[in-house]
Amino acid sequence: MTPPLYIALRFLSHRKRAFLLSLCGVIFGVAIFICTQAQTEGFAQHFIDSTLGSNGSLILRSRFQPLGAGLPVPPKKTATHHKATQRRYIEGITNAREIMRVSRQFSNVAACSPVLRGTLSARSGFENATVDLFGIDPALHLQTTDLTRQLIAGTFEDFRDNPASVIVGSKLGQELNLTAGDSVQLLSPGGEYWRFMVAAVARSGVGAVDAGRVYAHGKVAQTLLRRPYPASMIIYKLRDPDRAPALAKHFETLFQHNSQSWQEREAGNLQLFLTLRISAAITVSLIILLAGFGIFNVLTMSVLSKVKEIAILRSMGYRQGDISAIFLWQGAMIAAAGAFLGSAAGALLTWGVSHIPIRVRGLLVADHFLVAWDWRHYFWATILAVVAVFIASYVPARRAALLPPVATLRGSSV
Amino acid sequence: MNQDVCLTCCDIQRFLGEEESRVHALRGVSLTLEAGTVHAVVGPSGCGKSTLLYILGLLDQPDGGSVTIKSEPVSHLPDDELARKRNELIGFIFQFHFLLEDFSAQENVMIPMRRLGRLSENEMRSRAAELLEAVGLGAKLARPSRHLSGGEQQRVAIARALANDPDVILADEPTGNLDMENSQRAFDLLQRIVQERGKALLLVTHNPQMANLCDWIHEMEDGQIVNARQRV
Repeated sequence: MTPPLYIALRFLSHRKRAFLLSLCGVIFGVAIFICTQAQTEGFAQHFIDSTLGSNGSLILRSRFQPLGAGLPVPPKKTATHHKATQRRYIEGITNAREIMRVSRQFSNVAACSPVLRGTLSARSGFENATVDLFGIDPALHLQTTDLTRQLIAGTFEDFRDNPASVIVGSKLGQELNLTAGDSVQLLSPGGEYWRFMVAAVARSGVGAVDAGRVYAHGKVAQTLLRRPYPASMIIYKLRDPDRAPALAKHFETLFQHNSQSWQEREAGNLQLFLTLRISAAITVSLIILLAGFGIFNVLTMSVLSKVKEIAILRSMGYRQGDISAIFLWQGAMIAAAGAFLGSAAGALLTWGVSHIPIRVRGLLVADHFLVAWDWRHYFWATILAVVAVFIASYVPARRAALLPPVATLRGSSV
Repeated sequence: MNQDVCLTCCDIQRFLGEEESRVHALRGVSLTLEAGTVHAVVGPSGCGKSTLLYILGLLDQPDGGSVTIKSEPVSHLPDDELARKRNELIGFIFQFHFLLEDFSAQENVMIPMRRLGRLSENEMRSRAAELLEAVGLGAKLARPSRHLSGGEQQRVAIARALANDPDVILADEPTGNLDMENSQRAFDLLQRIVQERGKALLLVTHNPQMANLCDWIHEMEDGQIVNARQRV
């Protein structure tokens, strides 16, 4: 044990109550930081999982052509950053099978599935609603999304085996008073109602999906929507969803189809979650900062009460660095104990919060507080505590080191 | 160079205060401390005794002149190096003993040894016990320093000053806070150690009887040594 550490331990035990109060501040700050981060990330992660499970990590849509294609002279003002706006989109994907065959060669692509999408009116009894129809290939869609895990009534097999059946979103089902086994009518663009059996009800956890989505068989949807093409988009399940933006960019160049990653698709919601996380982190950091002020005060008082001891130590050959280290060690011990106990308290608090029942029905669906268990929350809470305590300890420590011993000794010897 | 010389200072100048309140505290003080000798510095309050002591003890730096310890000029070394020299070569005894209250008698004596770092924990404990035994406190090793009497605390301070076996012991009114009996006992102890172990002791005192027991008496007045006489 170094001499400064040895002396720091003894000094620390001298002002137990003040140091315990400072320690409590750090523990509280660290625990709340961990808990709030776990909650905000928990809700965000749930939303991401739900949206990936329903809409995939990447979506390939309409084919496009540059506006100047085929012209003998390129049009004026063809700056590269206007590229996206100078496209002509051609609705629908005519060569979905070929695109999917090529796509599967990419290592990051786990599965892909064609979807024919359209908007229709639905009727059940006296209730009407606008629905977002997804015409799917049941087998491929099963591999690409979490649809089977989302079913809360009925079975996927009933849907797969019956082309005249649909799966409806849970919120839409409530709106139209539908459950598995009921029938629903969908209004075609030609003005005639088609009757379908509700094979299952799905709850994705994403409010917008649950409120309007209806899954039907692809071929049936094509006829119903009167579309000349079998797919309007291809959705992809990726092994590493974080790399979706790069792959989307690559697909766009390769297939000349509009391609969108889930990060781009959900940018607004992700931004909201990120803002909430940052806001919570800033608020909770203030608690740690306040604890830092407490430590600053305690250590400053400690320095003032140990002026004589500092002069004695200096007269015995302790260097300025040693004196500084004595007070920095005290801060370090508070930071270490605060981070350790705060992490334990944070874990306990997070566990407790995750068991609080709460009914969330909006942007996402949840029945209890959602939390994420991530070592990074503990790491950053520890870093924050260490930095705050170091800053709080540095000034008193520096002040102690620079105290002129002669002034103290002279003052005491008169 | 005389091998028995522990410390010399030559033409020490020191100014204290700023601007109007600036005073010339030391005006060309020169002094030589040989091994095995006890020196007393006497003089009226404010004549510069303590200022001289702190400069010789490397706690303060002179504005002019030089301090040499064991033939090495030390007065203008960097702060860390001065601290090392203080730890290794100098032992301080103050009027108000200045022990660390949170520590026991033995732990107080071990503090300079910890900084020096030459001994193991057990060796430090054993040496501290030995020194406290020598000053008559062998039975009170573990007692917190604040629970010791004034005389006992001063004896702990003496033991602490000897912890690293320094060549020079500097004492600022070491018996100023003690009664006659304890003063005499403390002085006898210091004198015996100096003579037996070949140290040099410089003590600042207002006590003429104690000064008369020293080998050398340096009378200071207005920042100068006006008279230095050896005891016959």
